[in-house]
Amino acid sequence: MNDNAMSIPHLIMNASTVVQLVMLLLTVGSILSWIVIFQRGIALRRAQKEYAQFEETFWSGVDLNELYREIPADDPRHGAEHIFQAGFREFNRLMPKTRNAGTVLEGVQRSMRVAWSREEDRLTQHLVFLATVASASPYIGLFGTVWGIMGSFQSLSMTQQATLATVAPWIAEALIATAMGLFAAIPAVIFYNRLSNNAGRLLGKYEDFAEEFHAILHRNLQGRDSASS
Amino acid sequence: MAVKHPRDPQDIGYLWPAVFAIAVHLLIVLFSLVQWPEGEAEPDSSSIVQATLVSTEAFTNQAQQANDESAAMEAADESVEEPDTSAAEEEAAEEQAAAEQAAREAAEAEQAEEQALEAARAEAEAQAQRRQEEAEAEAERQQEAEEQRRQEEAEAEAEREREAEEQRRQDEAEAEAEAERERVAEEQRRQEEAEAEAEAEREREAEEQRRQEEAEAEAEREREAEEQRRQEEAEAEAEREREAEEQRRQEEAEAAMQRQLEGEAQAAAEAQQAEQAANSFLTIVKRAVEQAWIIPSSASDSMSATLQVRLGPSGEVLTTSVVSSSGDSNFDRSAMQAIEQAAPFGELRELPTEQQRNLRQFNLRFTPGDVR
Repeated sequence: MNDNAMSIPHLIMNASTVVQLVMLLLTVGSILSWIVIFQRGIALRRAQKEYAQFEETFWSGVDLNELYREIPADDPRHGAEHIFQAGFREFNRLMPKTRNAGTVLEGVQRSMRVAWSREEDRLTQHLVFLATVASASPYIGLFGTVWGIMGSFQSLSMTQQATLATVAPWIAEALIATAMGLFAAIPAVIFYNRLSNNAGRLLGKYEDFAEEFHAILHRNLQGRDSASS
Repeated sequence: MAVKHPRDPQDIGYLWPAVFAIAVHLLIVLFSLVQWPEGEAEPDSSSIVQATLVSTEAFTNQAQQANDESAAMEAADESVEEPDTSAAEEEAAEEQAAAEQAAREAAEAEQAEEQALEAARAEAEAQAQRRQEEAEAEAERQQEAEEQRRQEEAEAEAEREREAEEQRRQDEAEAEAEAERERVAEEQRRQEEAEAEAEAEREREAEEQRRQEEAEAEAEREREAEEQRRQEEAEAEAEREREAEEQRRQEEAEAAMQRQLEGEAQAAAEAQQAEQAANSFLTIVKRAVEQAWIIPSSASDSMSATLQVRLGPSGEVLTTSVVSSSGDSNFDRSAMQAIEQAAPFGELRELPTEQQRNLRQFNLRFTPGDVR
């Protein structure tokens, strides 16, 4: 009878309402954080694969006009392809309007920066939620524990004899809240670090690619300037 | 500019991640549920206090009288304190007596050692004498035994010769006697053959008589057989009726037996319930006392003390007395204090009244065991 009373499900069912609410909140947070972990992990791996493919075709010596034409305008791409598309479109639009190379390069750079910031937003979406769960859930669990121990001391004051048996279930139940908080927080911290590091590296690669593409356009403009003048 | 489609090829949606996440949580919950019951039974095995019921009726009667006298709780408290002081006095007296005894024993031990040395010397001499005597006695015995063997062998040979001669004489006499017997036998055979012929004639006459008698006898037998059949049929019917009645009686008896058995089974079940209730109460008491017990530093693992506890009707402790001491008064006192700390055992009131009487008196055995 006493053995049954100290099992984890029994403790959870017998906990006070506040502690049960805290446990529910932590469970939901843990499940949501794991959803984010899986979703972001798979998405980032796919983005890395796509970038590797695009880089290979870009540096294979193909004509940039052909590469641009292969991308249909109504099917916008993502990652480095998106940056390339935005930059090249701006270049083609500005070229007939102005002969000043500086103006053209400035417009291309601006449009590529916009595309890059959109990519950043897309890659790091929901990672903030992971960070929130990682930092907040230990405190939420601690709150549940403190509340539970308060209850245990209140029940202790009701009984005439203070024995371990009257306090033990309360404290065990209260400690479960902390355990659940840590259970939610630890994977969230680990995967937040890992995923944000992956996203940052990918964004760095995009930035490098944008700079390289900018250099190619700059070289082309220099040649055209000297030829026209 | 580049207007984003709501659908992202890198975005795999939230269905599969959700399924994975819930699967991870279910796995962890299952793991914790499966692992739990295995690791639990271990800590219970090392209980340091063992309880046994004292179910003698004389004791329970005494307990009842005590209860009647101490109807109020105050009276009970006083009666708890009294045995303590008396026990302390007794212990002091015992310690003094033990010290005196120890001194006496030491003096006696010295005397005993001197005596033991003298006795040892005397024993050594006696043993040496005994060995010499034994050696002489054995030598004499061996000589006598050899002489006896020689005499017996000589006598045996003489007897064998005598017997052989007698046999030869007897054999010769028997051979003559057999020859005479054969002659007599031949004469007898001749006489017997003559008699046999006479008998054959007598037999023929007898056979004719027998045939006539048999024919008459058969007629009579048939008549008798018919009468017997009628009687047997009548008897068989009577027997069948009797058997049917007996079966009925047996079935009724069996039914009665079954009823009795069921009653016994019920009684057994009730007894089992009572036992279980008693056991659960004793385990509660055991746990409470275990928790309240502060084991003194002087206690060793091999020590054990048995204390008898008498409870009042509402579970308060009336008296505790040492049944078998551990030899360490501190140890016994700590055990008594543990019982007083753990009291009152209010669970006694939850039991049925009949069992309460039996459970008011029990023994607790204190063994520190492997706790320290």
